[in-house]
Amino acid sequence: MKPSHRLRLKKMLAHGFLLVALALVVLPFLMVLVTSLRKGNFPPNSLWLNPDQWSLEHWKYVLNIPYSEIVNPSTPPLHWLWNSVIVSALSSAGIILLSSTAAYAFARMRFKFRGHILQSLLILQMFPAVLALTAYYTILDSVGRHVEWLGLNTLPGLISIYLAGVSTNIWMIKGYFDTIPASMEESARIDGASPFQTFVRILLPVSAPIFAVVFILSFIYTMSEYPVASAVLGTPKTWTLAVGASSLLREHEKLWGHFAALAVLSGVPITVMFLLCQRFVIGGLTSGGIKE
Amino acid sequence: MSQGSVHIKDLVKTYTDDRGRPTFTAVKNINLDIDNGEFMVLVGPSGCGKTTTLRMVAGLEKISSGTISIGDRVVNDLEPKDRGIAMVFQNYALYPHMTIFNNMAFGLQLAKKKKDFIQETVTRTSQALGLNQMLDRKPQALSGGQRQRVALGRAIVRNPVVFLFDEPLSNLDAKMRVQMRSEISRLHGQLGSTMIYVTHDQVEAMTMGDRICVMKDGVIMQVADPLTLYRKPENLFVAGFIGSPPMNLLRGKVQKQSSGLVFTETGEQNAISIPIKGPLESLVSKYVDKPIVLGVRPEHITEESKNGSHVPLTSAVDIAEPMGSESLVYMKAGGGSFIAKIHGEKLFHQGQPLTVYVDTGKILLFDPETEAVIR
Repeated sequence: MKPSHRLRLKKMLAHGFLLVALALVVLPFLMVLVTSLRKGNFPPNSLWLNPDQWSLEHWKYVLNIPYSEIVNPSTPPLHWLWNSVIVSALSSAGIILLSSTAAYAFARMRFKFRGHILQSLLILQMFPAVLALTAYYTILDSVGRHVEWLGLNTLPGLISIYLAGVSTNIWMIKGYFDTIPASMEESARIDGASPFQTFVRILLPVSAPIFAVVFILSFIYTMSEYPVASAVLGTPKTWTLAVGASSLLREHEKLWGHFAALAVLSGVPITVMFLLCQRFVIGGLTSGGIKE
Repeated sequence: MSQGSVHIKDLVKTYTDDRGRPTFTAVKNINLDIDNGEFMVLVGPSGCGKTTTLRMVAGLEKISSGTISIGDRVVNDLEPKDRGIAMVFQNYALYPHMTIFNNMAFGLQLAKKKKDFIQETVTRTSQALGLNQMLDRKPQALSGGQRQRVALGRAIVRNPVVFLFDEPLSNLDAKMRVQMRSEISRLHGQLGSTMIYVTHDQVEAMTMGDRICVMKDGVIMQVADPLTLYRKPENLFVAGFIGSPPMNLLRGKVQKQSSGLVFTETGEQNAISIPIKGPLESLVSKYVDKPIVLGVRPEHITEESKNGSHVPLTSAVDIAEPMGSESLVYMKAGGGSFIAKIHGEKLFHQGQPLTVYVDTGKILLFDPETEAVIR
C-alpha cells in the first residue's frame, strides 16, 4: 500500500470512529425529541415521523397551552420546572459559598488535622448520597416538626440536603487555589487587606473559572437528581421536574410523549445556565499578575 | 532619625508540620542591625534563610523566637500593614484583574485615604516610573520590566520607612536586570529609606548594597561593606561566594624548606608550590605540616611581575576563556585547576606552558577545619 493510501485509510477509520461516538451522543436525544412531537404515547423507537404522525399535543401539555384547557391541574409541568430551577440555583449558589470558603481554609491555612479532614472528605464522597436516604428522611421528618418550612415536602429541606454534597467541590476549588501563588494574597495583606477582603477582592475575581465550573456541575446534578428528591418531596405541588417527569410513566399508563417533551424542556435551564457560565470559563485570568 | 532602623535579635525560624512538630530550622539565631537609610543586601545560596528572614521582617512569617524591631518598636506581633514596610516580590504579585492604577492605589484605598490624595500620589509616582501612559491597562498588557516597575510603584505609594525586596530582578532578562538595578539604586538615593534586599546573585549584592549580609544554612557568615567582603572574607564560604570568577582555593600543606616557608598543594600531578612571604609567615607558624587552604583571587594571578611580592608559577593551560580585553585561563593544578586573569588581547591553547605571577601580598590562608581565615 502506498503511504498516501495508508494515510487516507487512517483518516477514514478515525472519522468512522468519531461518527459512531457522535451518534451515541446525538441519537438518543433525537429519539426523545421525535417522541415528544409524535401523536399519541409511544416509547422512543424511531427517528422518522410520517406527516400524519406529527403533533404538538405533548408540548401543549408541558407548556400549559392553552391556559383554559389545563389537562390535569394536579400535575403542572411548568410549576415543576420552576421548582427545579429554584432548587438548582439556590443549591449551586450555596454549594459555591460553602465549598469556596472551606477550600480557602484548606488551601491557605495551617491547622491541626488538616490533612486528615481533607482525606476523610474524599472518603465520605465515595459513598453515594442515596445510601443516606433513610437518614435524610428521618432527619427532615424530625426537623419539620419544629421548623415546618425546612422539613419533608419542602424545597428548603431538599436544598439543605444538596448542600451537604460539597466535598468533591472543596477538593476541586482547593486544587485551583493551590495553583494561585500565595504572594498575590501576601501582597494584599501588606497593602492592609483583611483575610476576608483578600478573599473577596483578590482571590474570588481570579477564581471565576472554577466557580463557573462548580456552579454548572452542581446545577446539572441537582436539576436531574431523582432518588433523594422523590423521597423528600411527597406532594405533586413540591415536585421537581425529575420527580414530576417520572410520575408520567405510570404502571398502566406510560405517557411517553409527555415524558419526552418534559425531558427536552428540562434541558432548557441547563443550557441557559451553561451559556451564562461559559463566559467565565476562560484561562489566563491570573496571567500578568505573576511571573511563573 | 532612627525610625527606619531595623534590629534583628536572636531570630529563629523553625517550621512545623500540621501537628506542630518541628520539621526544619531555616533561620538559626541571627543578629543583625540595619541603620536608618541603609541599603542592606541579604545574599546566599538558596535555602540559606535569607528570604525567610525578610518575610519575618515583613510579618508574613511567624517568628519562632527572638525579636525584630523597626525604629524603636518591637514588631513581632504587628500585622504587616502596621509595620511601615512595603515589599516587592520576585514574581511581581500584581493583582491581575485590576488596572495599573488600582494595583497601585489598592493599599491607599484600603487605608481609606481621600480620593484626591490617592489620585495625586499614584499619578506622581507613575510619572516618576514612566508608567503614566499605562494606568488604565491591566498587568497582562505590560512587559516584565514594566510589571516590576508597577510593583515598585505600589511599594512607593505606601510611603514606607523600610522597603523589602525579595529577589525582585530574578525574573527579568539580563539587560532589564542591569537597568532595574540602577533604577532601584537611584530610588534609594532619592527616597533615603531603609532597604533590605534579598538576592542570590553576588553581583547584585556587590553593586547595590551599602552593606552585605552573607548567609548560609540559616547562619550569618559575615556582614560588611562590599570591599571588605572582597578583601577580607572571614571564612572559606564568603571567600568562595563573593567575587566573579570565584577565588582559587587550593588545599595543601605549609612546609619548612631551606628557602623558608612554602605552601605545597595536595595532589599527585601538577601540584603547585607557592612561597609564603611577608606578614603571613608569622601567622602560619602554628600550621606547619598541617592541612591548610590557600586562597588567592584570579585577578591576583597575572602575567606580569610588578614588585617583590610577586612570585612566578609555571603550569600548563587547561582551558582559556577569552573575554576580549582579558582572558580567564584555567591552569592545571593538583586539585584540578586554578584560574588566572591575564590582561591583553591574547589567545591561549590547551597544554601550552605558561608562567604567571602570584601576588603573595593578597594571599589568604584558611583553617580547613574551622573554615575561618587565619589572621
